[in-house]
Amino acid sequence: MKNPPAFFWFKLAFRKLLNNRRFSIFFIFNLALGLAGFIALDSFKVSLDNHLGQNSKAILGADVALTSYVPFEENTLNVLEEKLPQNTLSTRKITLFTMVAAKNISRLVQITGVEDEYPFYGKMILKKNGIVESENIEQSLKFSDEVWVYPELLFMLGLSVGESIKIGEKIFRIADTIIDDPSSSFSSFGLAPRIYLGYSQMLETGLLSKKSRVSYQRLYRLPEGADLPGLNVELKNKINDFEGSESKIRILTHNRAGNNLGRLLGYINDYLGLVAMIAVFLAGIGAAYLFRNYLVHSFREISILMSLGATRQQTYRMVLWQLGLLGTGSALIAIIISLGILPLLPILLKQFLPNGFETQLSPISLMFALVLGGVGSLVFCLPVLSRIRTVEPLHLFHENIEQKIVNSSFWKKQVLSYIPLLILSWSLSVWQSHSLIVGSVFVGMLLVSILFLGCIAWLVLAMAGNLSQISGSTMKRLAFRNLQRNRTGAISCFLALALGTLLINLIPQIYQGLQEEVSRPDDFRIPSLFLFDIQQEQMETLQKTLISEKVNLNYLSPMVRARLEKVNGKNFVYSDKVALTREQERQQSFRRRNLNLSYRTELSDSEHIVEGRMLATNYDWDSGKPAEVSLEVRYAERMGLKLGDFLTFNVQEVLVEAIVTNLRRVQWNSFQPNFFIIFQPGVLEDAPSTFLGSIGGLDASGKLKIQNRIVSDYPNVSVIDVSRMVERALKISDQMVLALRLMAYLSILAGLVVVFSIARHEVDGRLWELNMLKVLGAKFSDIQKMIQIEFAVLGIFAGLFGVVLSLIMSYGISWWFFENLWKWTWPTSLASIIGVTSLSVGVASLATSRTLRSSPLTLLRAS
Amino acid sequence: MILKIKGLYKSFPQDNHKNIEVLKNLNLQVEEGETVAVVGQSGSGKSTLLSMLAGLDRQSSGSLRIRGQEISEMSEVKLTQFRAENIGIIFQQFYLMPHLTAIENVSLPLEMFGHKDSQQRSRDALLQVGLAERETHFPHQLSGGESQRVAIARAIVIRPSILLADEPTGNLDNATGIQVSNLLFDLVQTTGMTLLLVTHNIELAQRCSRQLQLNSGSFQ
Repeated sequence: MKNPPAFFWFKLAFRKLLNNRRFSIFFIFNLALGLAGFIALDSFKVSLDNHLGQNSKAILGADVALTSYVPFEENTLNVLEEKLPQNTLSTRKITLFTMVAAKNISRLVQITGVEDEYPFYGKMILKKNGIVESENIEQSLKFSDEVWVYPELLFMLGLSVGESIKIGEKIFRIADTIIDDPSSSFSSFGLAPRIYLGYSQMLETGLLSKKSRVSYQRLYRLPEGADLPGLNVELKNKINDFEGSESKIRILTHNRAGNNLGRLLGYINDYLGLVAMIAVFLAGIGAAYLFRNYLVHSFREISILMSLGATRQQTYRMVLWQLGLLGTGSALIAIIISLGILPLLPILLKQFLPNGFETQLSPISLMFALVLGGVGSLVFCLPVLSRIRTVEPLHLFHENIEQKIVNSSFWKKQVLSYIPLLILSWSLSVWQSHSLIVGSVFVGMLLVSILFLGCIAWLVLAMAGNLSQISGSTMKRLAFRNLQRNRTGAISCFLALALGTLLINLIPQIYQGLQEEVSRPDDFRIPSLFLFDIQQEQMETLQKTLISEKVNLNYLSPMVRARLEKVNGKNFVYSDKVALTREQERQQSFRRRNLNLSYRTELSDSEHIVEGRMLATNYDWDSGKPAEVSLEVRYAERMGLKLGDFLTFNVQEVLVEAIVTNLRRVQWNSFQPNFFIIFQPGVLEDAPSTFLGSIGGLDASGKLKIQNRIVSDYPNVSVIDVSRMVERALKISDQMVLALRLMAYLSILAGLVVVFSIARHEVDGRLWELNMLKVLGAKFSDIQKMIQIEFAVLGIFAGLFGVVLSLIMSYGISWWFFENLWKWTWPTSLASIIGVTSLSVGVASLATSRTLRSSPLTLLRAS
Repeated sequence: MILKIKGLYKSFPQDNHKNIEVLKNLNLQVEEGETVAVVGQSGSGKSTLLSMLAGLDRQSSGSLRIRGQEISEMSEVKLTQFRAENIGIIFQQFYLMPHLTAIENVSLPLEMFGHKDSQQRSRDALLQVGLAERETHFPHQLSGGESQRVAIARAIVIRPSILLADEPTGNLDNATGIQVSNLLFDLVQTTGMTLLLVTHNIELAQRCSRQLQLNSGSFQ
C-alpha cells in the first residue's frame, strides 16, 4: 500500500479551511492584529540597525577613534599609532559642555573643536555653504574665528547668522548653521545644541583647564582593506600595558559608535516590544478559543477519515497543515497591517531617531513574521490540538460524537502541551527586552495576571450562576445562566478585556504618578538652577555674587575625578565584548565610567541609608585604616559591590583605600547634587576638585537674571535650568508614553476582536435555543438585552479587576523603580472601566445583531 | 470463511469502577458472499459488534478473525491498513465530508493511499450507484438518498471483501430507503462482497441470507 501524494493532506486541509471561511477569516484577522504591532516593531528595529550599521562610520566620522578625558601624551600616542597601518589619516577633536551667552540670554551648549580633515566619513551640511569641505573648516573655523551652530541655538538666544557669540573668553562670529550633522545623536533630543569651532580656537577659549569633563578624541581613517578587529585587539593589548591615566584611553570603533547611538532607542523599543507581546498574547487567546471550537466541530470528520483508513498521525498532519495555513495567512495579513503601523513609529519616536532614518519592511522581518505566525498559531493551539487524542471513530456508530474517557495521563499531557507556549513567551520576552531579568519578570507577571484574572473570572461566573437562581427578569436570569454554562468563551472574553484594561491603565498610572511628582510647580525641593564646573577658587566670590542677588547656593558639593582600580585587592577590569543583554550593557557602561567622588558626613533630604552606618566625621591618616565610603545601593548592585568591600581608588594618580561602610538609596528625581560614591571628610580635600550646587525658589525672570550674571562673571561655570530640563524630560517621556499607549490600544483592539469573535461564535452556537426563545414569544430587544447583560457583566468585572491589577502592578513598579512615586489617577481608572464595559457591550451587540435579527424560520433552517 | 468470531466478549468500565458487559460469548461464522443481518433492540450491543468488526475497537477477550487474520493481534497501524484494504463501512448518518464534492468523497480512501487510478475508480463507483451526473455536487446539494448512495460508493470503491452497514436506511424515508437497500443488495450480489448489516428494520433484515438476533449482548 502506497502513501498519498505529498500534498494530499495539505489539499484536504486547505479545502476544509475554505469551507469554513468565517472561522478562517476570524482566526486570521484575530491573530494578524496581534502580530502586526510586533512585526512593525521588528521592522523598525531592523531598519534602525541597518541605518546605524550603514552610517556608523559617518556617526563616528572615522573608522576608529581613541578617546580620553585628559589630553593625550605625545609618547603614548606614538606608541599606539605605531600599530596603525601605513597611510592612516588622523585628525583631532575636542568636545565639552559649557554656557554661551548673547543678548542677556545664556544656554548650555556642547562645543566641538575640529581640524580641517574632519569628518573622514559622512557629510556635514551647512545651510549657506552646503557640504562641508576641508577648505570650509580651514577658512572659516581655523583662520576667521567663526563658528557653525545648530539652528535651534539661534532661536534660543535670539541670534542670527553674522552676529557674535562669546564662548569662554573668546568671541566668535556665527558664520553658518548646520542643517545635517551625521555625528549628531538625535534630531532634537540633546539638551545642549552643538557649536563647531576650530581645534586651535577651542584651546583659546580658556575652557579646557577649567572644565571637569572634556573629551579628547583622535580620529583615524584606515586604508582600504585594513583589519579593524585585529587593530582593535592590538590597541587594546597595548593600552592594557599602560599605567595611570593612559590606561583609561578608550578605543571607539565605528561599529560601537553606531551601537551607542541606538542604545536609548533600544530601551524604548524593548518596552514597546513587551507591550506588543501582550497584543500577541490576547490574539493568541482568541485564536485558541476559535480553534478549539473549530476542532471540536471537526472531530466527526477526523473520525470519518480514521474510519476510511487514516492514522491518527495523519489526521494530526492535516490539522497541522491547517494551523500552518492559518498562521501563514495571519502573518501575511499582519505584514499588510504593519505596513500601516510602520510609518507611524518614526513619527511617534521622532525625538529619538537619527537624521535621515527611514523605515522599511526588511526580508528578515518578513521571515520573522512568517515564522512567528506559523509557530505562534501552533503553540497557542497546541493545548487544543492535543484533544485529537480523544477522538475515536467508533463513535460514528452511535448518535453523537463522544469524547474518550480521559485519564490522568491525558491531563499530564494536557499540562505539558502548555510548555511550548511558556517557552515561546519567555524567549520572545527576553529577546524583546534584551534582558533576562526584565523578560522573565514580564512573563512571570503576565502568567500571574492570567492566573489571577482566570480565578476571578471563575468566581464571577459561579456568582452569575447563583444569581440566575435567585431573582430578576427571565432574560437577566438566562443571561446569568449563559455566563455560567459557557465558561470557556466567557473566561476567554474576560481575560482579553481584563488584560487590555490592565495595559491601558498601567502605563498612564505609572507615568502620571511620576509626572505629578517631578513637575509640581510649588515644590521648592526641586531646585531652579543647577550649577557645575565651579572652581575651588571661585567658590567664595561666586557665593558673594549670589548673596548680592539675594539667593543662596545650596547643597554645595565637591566633585573629585577618580578611577576604581581594585576591589578587595583584585584589579577591577571591564569587558569590551559586545553586550548581549541590557544588564550586561548597563554593567559595562557603569564599569567604564570615570567616577565622580564627593565627601560629606550628613545625608541630604533626598537620601537615606538602607544598610550599614553613618560615615565617621573625619578621617585620621595615622590610623592606618581605610577611609569610609558610602555607595548608592543600585550602583553597588550593578558593580557587584557590597558592604565591607575594600576599594582602591586612583585619585589623580594617588591610590586611596576605602571600605564600603553604608549603602544609600537616593531619590534622583529630587535633582539635588547626589553621588554614587561619597567619602568621609578628611580624605579628598587636597585632591583637585570642582564644585556643584543648586539654587532654589526662583521664578522665570529670577532664573534668567542669575543665569546671565553667572555666565557673564564666571564663564566656565555651567548652569542648567532644572524646570526646563524637567519639561524637556517630560516631553520626551510624553512621546515614549504616547508610543506605548498606541501599542496598548492595539492590544485592546486585539482584545475586542476576541470579544467580537467569541460573541458571534457563542450566538451561532446557541441558534437553536435563540430560535426557541423567539418561537416562545421573546422579542429581538429581549434577546439583545440578554446578550448585552452577559457582556456588560464580563466588561464591568474585567474592567474592574484589570484596573485593580494595574493599580497593584503600578504601585509595585513605582515602589521598585521610582522611589514610591505613586498616585492613584482615579479618572483614568474609572474611564477604563466604563470604556471597556461600553466597548464590550457595543462589540458584542455588533457581532450578534445580524443573527439575532433573523426570523425564527431562518434560524431554524440555519440550525 | 471470511469472518469467524469465537467466544467474543466486550465490556466497558463504569464510573463506579465496575465493568458492564456489552457483548457476551459471541460466536459467529460468515462465508464469503453471504449477507447477514444483525437485529436487536437499542443497547443490545449491535453497534459495539460493528465497531469491532470494523477494527475501530478491540474486544475484551475472544477471537475475531477476518480473512483468517486475527484482528486483536494486529498493531494499530496494521489494523488501519487492513481496514482500508478489506472493510467498507456505511453509516446511518452518511458522514460525508461537507467540504468535498461527491467524487472527492468517494476517492478519499483511495487517495489516502496514493492509488493512481483513484479518479477513474471513483467515477466507476458513482456510476454503479447511479450518481455519475452528480459527481461535482457537494453533500449539501444532495438529497438524503443521494448522500447515502455516495457513502455506499465510498465504501465499495476500495473493493472490500466485507461490507459493514450500520442502519443504512435509518435516516431515509421509506421509499428512498427501499431504493438504497435495492442498490446495496444489487451491488453485493454483483460484486460478491460479504455484507453484514445492523438494523432495526425487519424488512431489510429479511432480505439478507441470514438474520441474527442480538439480545443483551448474546445471539439468540
